[in-house]
Amino acid sequence: MFSSLDTVKPALKKLVSALSVQFPYASVLAVEDAWRRWSVSRSGVSLSASGFGGGTGFVVRVFDGTGCAEYSFNEFSQEDISCITAVLTQRLAALEGFEPLPTPIPADGPAQLKRATPCRVDPGELGDEAILNKLKAIREKALAVDGRLLDASLGMAYRSCRKIFLSPNRDLDQTLTWTTCSLSMLAARGQELKAAYRPFSALGGAEVLDQVEAAVPEVAAQTLELLDSQPIPPGEYECVCDPDVTGMIVHEAFGHGVEMDMFVKDRALGKSYVGEYVASPLVTMHDGSAVEEAATMFFDDEGVLTGDTVVIDKGVLKTGMCDALSAARLGVKPTGNGRRESYERKAYTRMTNTYFEPGTHSVEEMIASIQYGFLLQQPSSGMEDPKNWGIQCMVDVAREIKDGKLTGKIFSPIVLTGYVPDLLKSVSMMGRDMKLSGSGFCGKGYKEWVKVSDGGPYMKAKIRLG
Amino acid sequence: MIDRIKQALQDCGVDLWRINDVTEESAELFFVKKQLDTRRFKDVRKFEVTVFRDVRDPAGGPPQRGFTSVVLLSSMPDGQLRQELNAAYYAAQFAANPYFDLPDPVQAPLKKKTGPLAQEPLAESAKRMARALFAPDVHEDAFLNSAEIFIIRTQHHILSSNGTNVSYTDAKAKGEFVVQCREPEDVEIHNTFSYDGLEEESLSKKAAEALSFVRDRARAQRILKSGRYDVVLSGNAVSTVLGYYMDRSAAYMVYPKYSTWQVGEKVQGQEVSGAKLDLDLCATAPYSVEGIPMEDRPLLRAGELRAIHGPNRFCRYLGVAPTGGYEKIRCENTGRPFEELKAGPCLWAVTFSDFQMDSMSGHFGGEIRLAYLIDEAGKATPVTGGSVNGSLLEAQGGLEFCSDRYEAEGYSGPYGMKIKNVSVAGV
Repeated sequence: MFSSLDTVKPALKKLVSALSVQFPYASVLAVEDAWRRWSVSRSGVSLSASGFGGGTGFVVRVFDGTGCAEYSFNEFSQEDISCITAVLTQRLAALEGFEPLPTPIPADGPAQLKRATPCRVDPGELGDEAILNKLKAIREKALAVDGRLLDASLGMAYRSCRKIFLSPNRDLDQTLTWTTCSLSMLAARGQELKAAYRPFSALGGAEVLDQVEAAVPEVAAQTLELLDSQPIPPGEYECVCDPDVTGMIVHEAFGHGVEMDMFVKDRALGKSYVGEYVASPLVTMHDGSAVEEAATMFFDDEGVLTGDTVVIDKGVLKTGMCDALSAARLGVKPTGNGRRESYERKAYTRMTNTYFEPGTHSVEEMIASIQYGFLLQQPSSGMEDPKNWGIQCMVDVAREIKDGKLTGKIFSPIVLTGYVPDLLKSVSMMGRDMKLSGSGFCGKGYKEWVKVSDGGPYMKAKIRLG
Repeated sequence: MIDRIKQALQDCGVDLWRINDVTEESAELFFVKKQLDTRRFKDVRKFEVTVFRDVRDPAGGPPQRGFTSVVLLSSMPDGQLRQELNAAYYAAQFAANPYFDLPDPVQAPLKKKTGPLAQEPLAESAKRMARALFAPDVHEDAFLNSAEIFIIRTQHHILSSNGTNVSYTDAKAKGEFVVQCREPEDVEIHNTFSYDGLEEESLSKKAAEALSFVRDRARAQRILKSGRYDVVLSGNAVSTVLGYYMDRSAAYMVYPKYSTWQVGEKVQGQEVSGAKLDLDLCATAPYSVEGIPMEDRPLLRAGELRAIHGPNRFCRYLGVAPTGGYEKIRCENTGRPFEELKAGPCLWAVTFSDFQMDSMSGHFGGEIRLAYLIDEAGKATPVTGGSVNGSLLEAQGGLEFCSDRYEAEGYSGPYGMKIKNVSVAGV
């Protein structure tokens, strides 16, 4: 797999050399991609290898007298080198007339690397037939749980990609593989459809499929429970967030606010809070590749090696996450968070695997400590507000807690609102066990989708629900 | 390349196929304040090939048809093309579904988009749109924080084994910008735009309006109390809510019985005291990805469903003519001028952090970034914070629209819409 980049790599090196003659900085990121998605539902069986992102291609980055410029293309051979140089020069000349944003050329210290993430069960070797048969069997089992279930949808997706980054001083090569699965069940209350959902993800291959079947009874039960759900009376409540909801708060409410390209634009309140308490001392937040999940990588899309960034340490904001251009502008070290949706798109500061560290409590202790409140589950969507640290997160399930016990009553859907530091400072208990989920993609605003994971432990906090 | 793919398909024994040949070029400008951050260009061409395979049921059941798709590049040697297509054809047998006919063949000459956006150099269009965007940015209190401008031109060629051969070109000017106001509170509002032409005047007007809104957000107070309000939505939020009717009538929702809607059904309910909805589906391209000719068609008339719509397979299953997938809705309803529609008491929710309409559950909602709390005397107080959480299933009988029109990428229709008695969580 992925041998075509070996064929063009010598020509890519010549391209970087040719561009370096004309421009003070030049690099190229080459991507070779393999995607596959399988799904079964009442709509039928679906199998696609046509991918989600841009697929296989190249992006060149140069610096000229104005600043940074990029050119994306997906047809390349050694014969194209002079043409690419000419096209870039000609098009940049046509865009003159704007005042440039001063940007120092990012550091290009020497680095060499060739690594791959583990993949225990290669979906290609397992085969389409076996994968679809497994999904169909789980679906049949799910639908047999209760006649009121309208559908059970199962999906599996994997991406394996090889990325090569070449600059005058860097020669980096990584192969990354992630696989995700989903189980969603539907039931109808008149025209209203209620759905429960479980995601599964792994840095690796089809081994994640083994987790799905065990979740069937729980997802089926939750789907049916939602049929009796009602709107929640708006108010501020003591809440226990499950690890998925904790993850959404980590990612949407706080993580986006410390993406440091937002610092450059003066769009993030976090910029003025570095070194200050923004959360309870129980909160320590990480982003990076110290854990193995769907967003783990060895270098980012700008050729910066990745690591572990401690964003919040015991409640104190230590740093944000940073891409190479923003780091150059801010005069800080990049953290390996420059990521692209594909070779066709710009690199922005993006999260990778983002999570809160675990604490010392059990979920039972948290629930027992609440006189009246809710256990929040099944996050459905969230949107960042780095400028004002406003929260918008939606969850599908709020389970009522009364006198330290779950009552069995469910409210849905729920909008979480409020001010991020208020919520994080109200954290009073952290669970012992941490779980990350990398089933979804993260957008920057409403576009630029990249694979991320987020999570943490069960977490007790005061949250405004509506 | 098309001939190479056809030859490879023949070599692999694939009789039924579709090729979507898409070429895309772009010029992109990224600004921080008025300074140019990054310039980008793109030239890509992809060939997405869908292969179909008929499968016999060994138990003697009805025949089935499977399909899968793969993306090919012109840099791939013939051997790799055959390898990819062989793998796709092998896989297609495992994705077998009930049999369906492919779309009827269509042949037509290239439909070429005309006008400056389609014809001028991309860089020139990008510069013109950038100047238009920044034209109203002349005040110190409220300004453009950052912006992204994409000028994109595409060429589409759709061919199939049953004789479809159509092509068209398209061009779009799209992007986003953030407006900021620092006093009395430092706030911002995120905006998006998408135009089919070089709509410089519209973009300048949109930027000016956004600057006005962000000034109001800066002085908005966190005083919204929880309760039930008559909520006025405007602009894209109206489009988001009405998208429920497009989703629920889509063949991909009706075939699996996620939606029980049928043509002729009064989908707004039997008791409609407000506006009876008149909605149209609008074609945004001459052909769907399957090569089906797209045209505008009525969706709802007086709240009654006129069309089930969607791609080929699900429409075939339902016994309706395949229409292709729609991405734009037009609302023909009208009413009082917007100024009268939002005469109080009501809550005019102008911008949300992310306004959502769940077409499955019928719930809509989002966190309020800027709203005006309007009292009976018409006095408007800017407020921020809190959230709207409503059910269209409960509210759809009492909808009210304004006469002012609004045009956006996926919507054409009234600028404003009033929804009565909606639950709002205060701050």
